[in-house]
Amino acid sequence: MRARQTANEQGFVLIAMSVALLVMLGVMGLAFDFGRIYIARNEAQVFTDAAAMSAASKLDGTDAGLERARQAVARLPMRWNLGTKSFTGVVVEFSADRKRWEQRPQAAAGMGFARVTAPDNQVEITFLRAIGGPDAFTVPAHSVAAAKPVRLVE
Amino acid sequence: MRSRGQRGHALLELAVSAAVMVSCLAGTVQFGYTFYIYNQLVTAVGNGGRYAAMRTYRAATPRDLEKGKAAIRNMVVYGDARPELNAPRQVANLNPEQVQVEWVLDESNRPAAVNVGIADYTVDAVFGIFHFTGRPAVEYPYLGRFAPAESER
Repeated sequence: MRARQTANEQGFVLIAMSVALLVMLGVMGLAFDFGRIYIARNEAQVFTDAAAMSAASKLDGTDAGLERARQAVARLPMRWNLGTKSFTGVVVEFSADRKRWEQRPQAAAGMGFARVTAPDNQVEITFLRAIGGPDAFTVPAHSVAAAKPVRLVE
Repeated sequence: MRSRGQRGHALLELAVSAAVMVSCLAGTVQFGYTFYIYNQLVTAVGNGGRYAAMRTYRAATPRDLEKGKAAIRNMVVYGDARPELNAPRQVANLNPEQVQVEWVLDESNRPAAVNVGIADYTVDAVFGIFHFTGRPAVEYPYLGRFAPAESER
């Protein structure tokens, strides 16, 4: 006897494949997109750690010291996104007490802390956006270093 | 009972969907493992850079400089400047020879900064191979004690 596909059976593979593809996109998103996000976060943190220590090492209570601190951060050759992109929009701030932070302090004397923030590290999302995730994910990082002695404090 | 035509259809559907699924799975494993390893490299290089920044710079002879670099390479690979025999590595298949350490000297020949990076590393991610050359890398300001006349132990 020749069996026929019923109306219920027709299109089952299409539905099953669609569901499986969505699940697969989710798994790929977890591996690919989250993988890149974690790497970018780690790269940004390592950069701000080095940058904050570089900046703090230049602080000597003078305006020239503040300028040297900014230049030291700008000169760092480190990159992110698997080592392919330069850090942009990096903010260098100074403080005497770790409460009030200023990019251009009026008085350089007493500035004993440097804070470096890398705010613009935007990772483009590839797979998770197909199942409702965002188009991009920003992974900012910041570090604070003290000048005497030079060490990371945050 | 299914007809011959229907059996053929099912086989074709299985072949197509299996090809898609296996490709997706292979890609997931390949990139997931590669990213995992790269993240470990970033952490290892960052720790090595911080250690290098604080380490005493001894340069009585070129051999002392090399010993200092070897200690920094060990810190990257083993998380310890003087690792025990058969110490576990921070990153699979990473050897000290694959880590590059360079001092940035100022005009008075004192170290101003230190660069630590991965010279060349290959990730064998089962379904594919990735090469990382010159990355990840970090540069830290040199903050350690400058002792050019001292020798390494």
